[in-house]
Amino acid sequence: MALNLMKNSIKMNTFSKLQVRSSSGSSEPQFRVLNLKVTKSKPAPRRQPKKFDTAPPRAHQMPTDQNWGNVWPGPRSFHPATVPLPVRQGYGEKQAPPSKYANAELMKIPNFLHLTPPVIKRQCDALRKFCTPWPKELSTDENCEKHFPLETTTSSYCYSSPSIRNSLARIVTLRIKLSHLPLDQHAKDKFRRLVGDRYDENTDYVTIVADRCPTSKQNFDYCMYLLTAVFHESWNVEPWESKKTLEDMEYYDWTKNQSCKSLESMFEVPFDKIEHGKEFSEAVSNLMNNGENLQTLKTYGDTVRKLLGLSKEI
Amino acid sequence: MFKKPRYIFRYNKNPKSLITSFQCLTTAALPTERIDSFRCVINNPLEQNEGHIGQFYRVPEDVVSKLFSQGGLPKSFRIQTKTFAETCLMIRKPSIDIINCIKNLDFSKPVPRFVLYGQKGVGKSLSLAHIVHYGYEAGFLLVHIPWLGEWMRRPKDSSPSETKEGYTNINLDIASWLVHFKNQNSLLLEKANLKTTQTYKWTKREETVANSNLMDLVDHGINRIKFASDCVLALLNEIKQLSKSGKCKTLVAIDGFNAFFYPETRIRTEKKEIVHPHNVSVTEGFLSLTRFDWKNAVAVLIVDELAIAEKDQTSYFPRYLLGKDGFEHLDPFIPVLVNGYSNKEFLSCMNYYRERRWVQPLPGLDDELSVISSSNPYKLMQLCAPL
Repeated sequence: MALNLMKNSIKMNTFSKLQVRSSSGSSEPQFRVLNLKVTKSKPAPRRQPKKFDTAPPRAHQMPTDQNWGNVWPGPRSFHPATVPLPVRQGYGEKQAPPSKYANAELMKIPNFLHLTPPVIKRQCDALRKFCTPWPKELSTDENCEKHFPLETTTSSYCYSSPSIRNSLARIVTLRIKLSHLPLDQHAKDKFRRLVGDRYDENTDYVTIVADRCPTSKQNFDYCMYLLTAVFHESWNVEPWESKKTLEDMEYYDWTKNQSCKSLESMFEVPFDKIEHGKEFSEAVSNLMNNGENLQTLKTYGDTVRKLLGLSKEI
Repeated sequence: MFKKPRYIFRYNKNPKSLITSFQCLTTAALPTERIDSFRCVINNPLEQNEGHIGQFYRVPEDVVSKLFSQGGLPKSFRIQTKTFAETCLMIRKPSIDIINCIKNLDFSKPVPRFVLYGQKGVGKSLSLAHIVHYGYEAGFLLVHIPWLGEWMRRPKDSSPSETKEGYTNINLDIASWLVHFKNQNSLLLEKANLKTTQTYKWTKREETVANSNLMDLVDHGINRIKFASDCVLALLNEIKQLSKSGKCKTLVAIDGFNAFFYPETRIRTEKKEIVHPHNVSVTEGFLSLTRFDWKNAVAVLIVDELAIAEKDQTSYFPRYLLGKDGFEHLDPFIPVLVNGYSNKEFLSCMNYYRERRWVQPLPGLDDELSVISSSNPYKLMQLCAPL
C-alpha cells in the first residue's frame, strides 16, 4: 500500500512540473479567448447628476430681534437652515464634531426649540385668565399632604396614529400614608398583613396599583373599592383572632413572654416598679426582634449587670 | 535588656572579655527578663486582678489532680501540660471579669448566671477551669460538669429509670461524675459540717437517714451505681437547701450547658427511641441548680457549638444555642464573650512556648502565626505543635 502511494506521488510531481513549464514559456502562442458577446462601441458616458438651485439657508437672513416663537411655533425635528445656532453633534476621529448640516444625529434627538422661556411665559400669560389663585391653606407640602392625603397617579399619552388610545393610560396608582388612616394597634397590624408587600415600612406608604379594567376611571374606582374594603376588614375582629398564641406573634412582645414573668418572680414586684426594668425589657426585645449579634448581646449583658447590681465589665 | 550589651561593646576594647561578658548576659539576664513579662508571680486566683491579663500562672500539681483529674481540661491541652511538665493557665479577660463579679457579689440575692460564649477553640473551657480554680480557692462547693456533651452525645450506658416513669438513667457517667465531685470537694466536705435534711430510702435495707453526712450520699451513689442518678438528684437537692440556708457557698460550672436543650441526644431507650435531654433523670436536678430561685451560689455556664450535632453548628451565640426554652430558663443571665487572643495575649503565649522550648525562635514567626491562626488559641496550639 505504502509503495503504491509513493508511486502516485512521483507521478503527480512529474505532472506538475510539465504544467509549470508550459505556462512559464512566454514566447509560445496564447489560447484564444472565446468572445461570444462582441461589444464594439464604447461604454455610454455616466449621466451627470442634475444640480438644483437651492436658496441659501434661511438662518442667514434672520434679524436678531425676531420673534422666535413665530419661526418655530410647534414641536418639529431639527432643521439646520432654520435654526440660527452653530450647534454641532456627533463624533469624528481627529476632527471636530460634525456641523449641523446633514447631521442625522441632531434630527434624531427630541428638541425643545418650541418651548423657549419667552414662549412659555407668553403662553402662561394667555392661560392665566382661566385660572384661580392657589389656596393659601395649601401653601406648604405638609399642608397639602394633610388635607389631601390620597395621591393618585395616571399617565396620559398623545400621539398621531389612527387610534389615539394608549393601553398604558388605564393604569392607576393610588398611594396613601398608613398613618393618615384612623387605625388602632390591632387594625393596623391586620391592615399590614392584608396589603402585604404593598406597604413600604421605610416611607409608611401603602401603594395600590390597578390595571385590570380598560379605562382609568374604572381602575380608579377599583382602587378606591380595594382601599375601602381593606380598611373596614382590618377593623373587623374575627373570633379566631383571639386564639393567636406567642408562636404566632410576628414580633417579640416582652410583657407577654416568660422573660417578664421570671423577672417579676425574681424581684417579687410588678415589672414597672423594678429599677432598670424598662431598660431590661428594651434590651430583651431588641435582642429578640433584631436578632442576636455582639452589639445586642453586649447591651443585654450590661443591662442585666445593672439589674442584678453586679460590677461592670472590665 | 538589649542596651546593656551595647554598653559593653563600646567600652570593652579587649575582644576576649567582650565575648565572655556577652555569654554571661545570655545565660543569666535573658530568661529573668522574659519571665517577668509573661509569667504571673501570683499563682493564687484570689489575688489576681485585671492587671495580670495575658500572663500565665501555674496551677499547683495537687490542685490539678484534685480538680481536673476526671476532666475539666480539654484533652489536647492536658497532653500539652504533660509535655511542658507544668499546668499553666493564661489569665484572660472573661474569667477575670466573672471572678471580679463573684468577689463583689451580694450572696443574699438570687443566683446570677454567667454564660460564656464564643467561637470554637477560643478558650471557653480553660476560662471556666480558671474560674473553677478560683472557686476552689475561695471555698465554694463545686458542682462542675467538665463536658456535658459526653453525657448527651457519647453516653456509656443507658437504662430506664425505676423510680421515675418515662425517664432514662445514664448511671455509669453519673457515677464517674460523683467521683469527680468527691475529688473536687473532699476537703470542703470534711471541714464543713454538711448534713442531709431528708431520709432517702433506696431499697428495703438501704437508706440514707436524715442528718447524715453529705459524703455518705455521694459514696452510696459511687458504690451502688444502680442508684447513681437518684443519688445525684438527692445530692443536688441537698446542696440547694444547704446553700439556701447559708451553710455553704456553691459554684455551679457546666461546660456545654446547651446540650440540656438540644432535642437530639444520642441516648436511646430500649425501644431505640431518641431520649430528649429533659427525659434524662439527672437533667432536672442540674436545671434546678441553674435557676435563680436560691442564693449563696453562682452559676457559670458555657454554651458551645460542639455540644450539639454537627449539622446545627451554625452560630455560636447563646440565644441560638440555648433555643427558646433554654433562653427562658436562664433569662436574665449575663452573656460573657470569649474572644481569640489579643496582641498582648498572643505575644505572651508565644513567649511561653519559646520558654518551654516548644517553638524555635525564628524571625517573623509571630507575625506569620498570628495571621495563620487568626489569633485563635486552639489553632495556634495546633500550628505550634510541629514547629
